[in-house]
Amino acid sequence: MQYMKPEELIDFLKKELKESLLDIRLDIKKEGIKQKENHNIWLEIKREKLIDAIELISTLHYPHISIIAGEDNGENVILTYLMSIYYGEEGKEVCLNIKVKLDIKEPSISTITDIIPGAQTTEREIKEMFGVNFVGLPDMHNIFLPEDFPKNIYPFRKNQKGLDDLIQK
Amino acid sequence: MKLNKNFDRSLWVFHLNTGSCNGCDIEIVALLTPRYDVERFGIKLVGSPKHADVLLVTGPVNRKMLPRLKLIYDQTPDPKAVIVVGTCGSSGGVFYDSYNIVGPVDKHIPVDVYVPGCPIRPEAIINGVLKAWLKLERIRNESNKAKVIETAKEASS
Amino acid sequence: MAKSSYKVPIGPIHPSLEEPMTFNFEIAGEKITSVDLAPGDNHRGIEFMGRNRNIIQIIYLAERICGICSVSHPYAFCRAVESAANIEVPPRAEYIRAIIAELERIHSHILWAGVAAHELGFDSVLFLSWKVRENVMDLLELLTGNRVNYGVFTIGGVRRDITDEHMPRIKQTLEYYKETYQKLEDVFLQDPSIALRTKGIGPLSYEEALNLSAVGPTTRASGVKKDVRQDHPYSAYADMDIKAITPEAFSGEVNGDVFDRIIVRLLEVKQSVEIIEYCVNNMPDGDILSEKKLAKLLGTLKKATGEGVGRHEAPRGEVIHYVKLGEGESPEVWKARAPTYNNLMPWVPMLKNQEVADIPIVIASIDPCIGCMDRVTLVDSNTYKQEILTRDQLRKLSVEKTRRLLQ
Repeated sequence: MQYMKPEELIDFLKKELKESLLDIRLDIKKEGIKQKENHNIWLEIKREKLIDAIELISTLHYPHISIIAGEDNGENVILTYLMSIYYGEEGKEVCLNIKVKLDIKEPSISTITDIIPGAQTTEREIKEMFGVNFVGLPDMHNIFLPEDFPKNIYPFRKNQKGLDDLIQK
Repeated sequence: MKLNKNFDRSLWVFHLNTGSCNGCDIEIVALLTPRYDVERFGIKLVGSPKHADVLLVTGPVNRKMLPRLKLIYDQTPDPKAVIVVGTCGSSGGVFYDSYNIVGPVDKHIPVDVYVPGCPIRPEAIINGVLKAWLKLERIRNESNKAKVIETAKEASS
Repeated sequence: MAKSSYKVPIGPIHPSLEEPMTFNFEIAGEKITSVDLAPGDNHRGIEFMGRNRNIIQIIYLAERICGICSVSHPYAFCRAVESAANIEVPPRAEYIRAIIAELERIHSHILWAGVAAHELGFDSVLFLSWKVRENVMDLLELLTGNRVNYGVFTIGGVRRDITDEHMPRIKQTLEYYKETYQKLEDVFLQDPSIALRTKGIGPLSYEEALNLSAVGPTTRASGVKKDVRQDHPYSAYADMDIKAITPEAFSGEVNGDVFDRIIVRLLEVKQSVEIIEYCVNNMPDGDILSEKKLAKLLGTLKKATGEGVGRHEAPRGEVIHYVKLGEGESPEVWKARAPTYNNLMPWVPMLKNQEVADIPIVIASIDPCIGCMDRVTLVDSNTYKQEILTRDQLRKLSVEKTRRLLQ
C-alpha cells in the first residue's frame, strides 16, 4: 500500500481540512543506538469537523484507536484522541494525537463508533467520568463506576462537589 | 513451633479478592505448584466459603466488593480464622484518597493474622497460614475443654 | 420465547483467583446468543489517586495496577514523562529495560499457558508449566530483588545494574528455556487433546479484530500484524528487527481461534529468548541513570511542561500512557490504558454461538487482566429461566466436555 511520509501527511491534512485544522505539529524522537526515527503528529480540530477528519484519515488507512484522554482546565473539556495509522509494517507507524475542545457548560460531540466500533468502551468511560454527551452513542449503563454511584457526580471534573464524602483515607 | 497433638485435620482455605492487583493472588496460586506444594501439609484451596476453615483476603476493599466480603464472612462456619494477605488489605498500602476504596479489611470484619508485603513471598503466606492454624487449634481445644467440663459437672450432679 | 438469563458470578479467569467478575449469559439451549459488557468490580480509581501524588510516587502506583504485567505500566509511564520533559535515557538503561520486559513476557505467557490448561481440565499441565516458570522468577529475583513488582524503573533510566556477575546466571536460564521450549511445544501444540478442545473455538475474524481495535496476541492470532515493537520501534527494540508473530509461522494458516492464540504466545516465548540474547551480547557501556540525585530530578520534573505519550508492547498487548505536565508536582493529566481494555469488545463476537462449556477457555484466551481492567457482564437471551451458575460449575462443564471428547 501507499505510505505517505510524515511531512507529506501534514501537507495533505492542511490542504483537505483547511480552517477546521487549528494547529498541527510533527514530533520526531530518535530511538536506540541506531537512532531510528519515530513520528508523532499532534493536531487540533474544531469539534464539528471531527467526523470529517476521521473519515479523511480512514481513506489513507483504517485507524487504530488506543484511548481518549480527557482534561478539564476550567474553561473547556479537552479530549485527546490517541490514534495511529500505517501499522503492520516495520517502523512505518505514525501516531496521530487529535485534540478537540468542548464547552464546559454543555460538553457534547458526535460519536465515532459508526466509523470505528472499537471506540465504544473509551467513549462510555469519558461519558461517566467527565459528563460528556456523545451524540449517537446508545444509552448504556455505567462501565466502571458502580451502578449506585450518584448520577450527576463526575469524578474527573476539576471542581466537582460532593466527592469528599465518598473519599476515605 | 510445636504443633498440638490434636492437629489431625487438614486446613481448607477459601481465597477472596476484594479488588487487588493480582500480585498476591498469583503467589497464592504458586503455593500449589511443585516448588512450594502446600498440599503436602494438608492445606487445600476450596471453591466455596461453606467448606472453609480459613479465609484468605487480598486487596484493598473496593466499594462494590464490600457487601460480598461481608456475605462470605457470614457464610463461613465457625470456628474460622481470617488472614489478610498483602499490605493493601492490612493498611491500604499505596491506595488511599480514592472515591472507590473503603479502607483496610479490619474496618469491616475481624482479622486474625496480618501478612504484610507488596507482594508477599509464598513462604510468608505459609507462615501466616500456620499461625492461623495454631490459633484455630487453640479455639477448638478450648471449646472441647469447656464441653468436657460441662459433661463432668452434669455427671457429678 | 422464554428468556433465560444465567447470572454467572464468575470469579476471575485464573484458577482459584477470585478476581471480581460477573457474567450474565442468555442462552438458547447450549448456545450463547448475545453479550453485554459492564466492568466495575476492580475499579480503584487509580488515575484519580494520581492527582495527589508526585511523579516518582506515581511510578510505584502504576506498578501496582497489575501484578502480572508489573513492568509494562512503569515502562510506558516513564517513556511518556521522558517524552514530555525531554529527558534522555542512556543506552545501557534502555537495554536493561528491554531485558526485564522480555523476562516478564516469558513469565506471563507461561503463566497463561498453565491457566488455559487448567480451564480445560488438564491440571498436570498447570503444575508442569508453573514449575518451568519458576526459573525465570528466580532470575528476576536475582536481577531486581523481587519476584513481582520490581521497583527498578525510574525517570531517566533504571535503578539497578546488570553486572558481569549476573551474566552466567542469565545465560544459564536462557539455555534452560531453549531446551524446555520443545517440551512446551509438544505438550500444547502437538497434543491432540488440546487441539480437539481449542480448534475452531471462539473465533475472531480479521475484520472484527481490525474494527474493534484489538491488541496483542488476540489480534495477531487473527492475522492483524500489530505490534508496537515492530510498528513504532522504541528503546532497545529499535536496534533489532522485530516481526509480529502470526499463526501461519507455525501452522501455515490463520483461523483466529483459541488454538491460534496458543500458537502466538508460545512462539513469542521463543522470540523473547532471542531478544534477551541479543541484548546481553550487545549491551553498551555507560551510565544507567541520566540524573542520579533524586531531589534534582524532582526539581526538574516540577519545572517541566509539555505532553507526552508512552507506548509499550506488554504481554497482553499495547499499553499506552498519556501525561501532561504542568506546574506543580503532580501531572495535570495522567491517562493509563491497559491492553485488556481494548480486548473487551472482542469477547462479544468470540462468544456468540459458542457452547456454555467453552466459556472458560474462550474468556481465558484473551488473557484478561482484570486488575488492569475491570469487570464484564455478558447478557444473552432465549428462554425465561433464571439460573445462577458459579465459576466452578462453569469450569466443571468445561472439564466434562473435555472428558466426553476424549473418549
